[in-house]
Amino acid sequence: MNMYKAALAALLGVSALTAHADPDPDKVLRASFNAPETGYDPAKVSDVYSHGVGENIFEPLLTYDYVARPAKLIPNVVTALPEVSADGSTYIFHLRHGIYFSPDPIFKGVKRELTAADAAYGLKRLADPAVASPSNYLVLGHFVGVDELADAAGKTGGKFDYDKVVEGIKAVDRYTLQLKVKTPYPGLQYILAMPHTSPQAREVIEGYASNTPAHPVGTGPYMLQDWKPGVKTVLIYNPNFRHEVFNFQPAADDAEGQRVAKEMNGKTYPQIGRIEVTVFTEEQPMWLQFKSQQLDELYGVPQPLIRGVLTIDPNNPRRAKIKDEYAKIGLKLSRALDPEITYFSFNGKDPILGGLGKPQIALRRAIAMSFDEQSAMRDIRRNNAVRVEYITPPGVQGHNPHFRMFFPYNRPQAQALLDQFGYKIGADGYRTTPDGKPFTIDFLSNEGAIGRQWDEYWQEAFDVLKLRVSFRHVAFNDLLKAMRSCTYGITGAAWIADYPDGDNFQMLMWSKNIGAENVSCYSSPRYDKLYEQSQQLHAGPERDKLYDAMNKVVSEDSAWAPGETRFRNRMMQPWVLGDEVHPIFQTSWRFTDIQKK
Amino acid sequence: MLSYIIRRVLQMIPTLFGVMLLVFCLFSVFGGDPSLVLAGKHMTPATLANVRAQLGLDQPLTTQFMIFVKQVFTLDFGTSWGSQQPVRDVLASRVGPSLTLSGALLVVDLLLAVPLAALVAYFRGGLTDRIVTICCTLAMSISALVYIVAGQYLLAYKWGLFPVGGWGHGFWTNLLIYVPLPMLMGLMVSLGPDIRFYRSFFVEEMNHDYVRTARAKGLSEQKVMLKHVLRNALIPVVTTVMMSLPYLLIGALVLESFFQIPGMGNEVVRAMNNSDFPIIKAITVYVALATMVFNLLADLIYKLIDPRVQLK
Repeated sequence: MNMYKAALAALLGVSALTAHADPDPDKVLRASFNAPETGYDPAKVSDVYSHGVGENIFEPLLTYDYVARPAKLIPNVVTALPEVSADGSTYIFHLRHGIYFSPDPIFKGVKRELTAADAAYGLKRLADPAVASPSNYLVLGHFVGVDELADAAGKTGGKFDYDKVVEGIKAVDRYTLQLKVKTPYPGLQYILAMPHTSPQAREVIEGYASNTPAHPVGTGPYMLQDWKPGVKTVLIYNPNFRHEVFNFQPAADDAEGQRVAKEMNGKTYPQIGRIEVTVFTEEQPMWLQFKSQQLDELYGVPQPLIRGVLTIDPNNPRRAKIKDEYAKIGLKLSRALDPEITYFSFNGKDPILGGLGKPQIALRRAIAMSFDEQSAMRDIRRNNAVRVEYITPPGVQGHNPHFRMFFPYNRPQAQALLDQFGYKIGADGYRTTPDGKPFTIDFLSNEGAIGRQWDEYWQEAFDVLKLRVSFRHVAFNDLLKAMRSCTYGITGAAWIADYPDGDNFQMLMWSKNIGAENVSCYSSPRYDKLYEQSQQLHAGPERDKLYDAMNKVVSEDSAWAPGETRFRNRMMQPWVLGDEVHPIFQTSWRFTDIQKK
Repeated sequence: MLSYIIRRVLQMIPTLFGVMLLVFCLFSVFGGDPSLVLAGKHMTPATLANVRAQLGLDQPLTTQFMIFVKQVFTLDFGTSWGSQQPVRDVLASRVGPSLTLSGALLVVDLLLAVPLAALVAYFRGGLTDRIVTICCTLAMSISALVYIVAGQYLLAYKWGLFPVGGWGHGFWTNLLIYVPLPMLMGLMVSLGPDIRFYRSFFVEEMNHDYVRTARAKGLSEQKVMLKHVLRNALIPVVTTVMMSLPYLLIGALVLESFFQIPGMGNEVVRAMNNSDFPIIKAITVYVALATMVFNLLADLIYKLIDPRVQLK
């Protein structure tokens, strides 16, 4: 590497090298995570923390503009956004020349350039049954010929034929990748910005086959130096990373973006030489380490600390600031709504609550209308959230901020609704079904303390309605099992965007996803028809109309009770520059700088 | 003695089998299905089946148990379901920090608790005894979490005497910089019960006839205590310490979590939270094995210290 630099210096002159200096290894960013990561093989992990680290090591074909809001796709290791055929089925990507993987013994000292074959391999790997990728849904069922490869691998003892050329994912030449989809895939460009789909060097994966999560080798600005699972991860600058200069162009009215541009524009990307990430499972030590300047950045302010650290306007949770005592010492806050929804789901197959009959809809609606979600949000979420009113949340393509999905909180009306539909109060003081049978609502809840907090608010709602409820507290995996097998009455659920397109949310209620993402087990022919029409369209006003109609159907069927979209609050020390919460990126380390006085 | 050792080693086999059966039932039969979490949020029945196959959970329970038996005898527990790292590597990297903290805690605890116990036993019934007993009871009544939270806030954050948490490179750096505060917090919890426990040994010894005889012979109190009482009282102390050694392997769960110590305790917490059965199974089996071995060693040492003891 040094010889390479020296030769380059001789050719270009010292000034060019000075301008493109490597990051200062003494610039160390000490960051925190609130939960453990699980590994750094992008095909094998699905948690946000692993991807948070992975997005600094790997580079998908496309990425997001760091300061554009809403999130905007831009080319990453390709020269431009893809060329799309007239029928929308074929996408051509041209890879940039001179992009190199980080040094690794597998490459035997040779600089390894990124090629289209690596991009194809990274995508195909997701479909390999032997990898058992939780992200296989991104490729299976979409690309021509790939399902057949996966099926063949399943039948021949797990050997996936990566060498077989398929039209769906094909390296046309060294720098050209072709993707061919079976049916329109509106989210395709977004999935190509996900770390899961990053190009991979096949020899690296095969060389470290027994332990790929500990040997991530990508083309990104950082590489893994040390990893103690669940405790600490250390990244250092990738010396093979291309030298680029920050040139952010935020909107004129975006104050935070303007700050980032002012702090970072003109500097070489990246600036930090070393990143140390510590996992904290307890809030107090994390907060004390941050306050005593042993940490530079908090990934997120933990929920129990929010009231002590932030002042949030209860009437408008979007307005929040750091408490004066912390602002005085220069601590900084960056805050954004996560692209997520939480909601309470009525099981569409439950004998009491499920179905599209009017009495069942009335029962669900009455329950939803009796739930004091505002109080729960204030007390449990500390006002650090906004109410969900649309399946697709704010900041995600297709969201309609004017739509109101839920009927207003109104307990007398809810009681009247139950009376109207024949849910009479029996001799025992609880309501019966319209045909006079006693019933108990099965409420499935997480066994943790937070789950029990929510239960208290729900109990109050059921008491008011005089409905008998039984809370079942189960472990997370049992909760998932019940949701996937439609064996519960009501439960809390959440979904965070894989990519910022409404399709990633609207599919939650598609009946073909029952047993998978549709944990509400909701089946509505009206919804299905609209959803299937929307799948044929790219984002735009025509699809937005369909989304409105789909939300209206869900609202009319009262398939959900209201939940929230939470804010992510990142805090930084005064000397951390350029840090801003991005709606999709989990971390901003590669875009930041440290400038201690 | 050799026949005794052989007999005890042979007895370990059914005990170990019982432990394996219990662990297997707890985690593989009643412990829920971790593949539901590992398959990710887009899990379909096909994905779930594939993940179950990868983890071997699609096999009949008898086959799964036989695989577990093989793992125990080869001491190769496969790969962690959480971090996907070889269990052997994970545990090997975690033993050092745990032993550094727990070992230091054990040594300092012994160095403080045994003399203090001897002292209060000597002055039993007096003011010293009462004050120490009250202090021990008070210390025992307060939750470990209170010590940790208060200690981190006051000693580390407010007064800056220690780092709030963390772990560095090198044994001495860790022992001298990162271990003292968690060790202090650990001592606050362990000293009280240990002093009272060891005190009872000393008091019991001091009531024996041979002590009275020694005093009647005109031996100084110092000689009586150090040469006779201490030596005999140390026999149950040694046994107790030997029995506690296997638990050093598990580490200090709460201390390691609060102080970001990359030890076994931290790993146990992570594994439990993530249904990482290979890690949990391995730790349980290792600790069971260590307990049996140290039990045997304790008996042998007991015999060495006190020749009156018959090994049958």
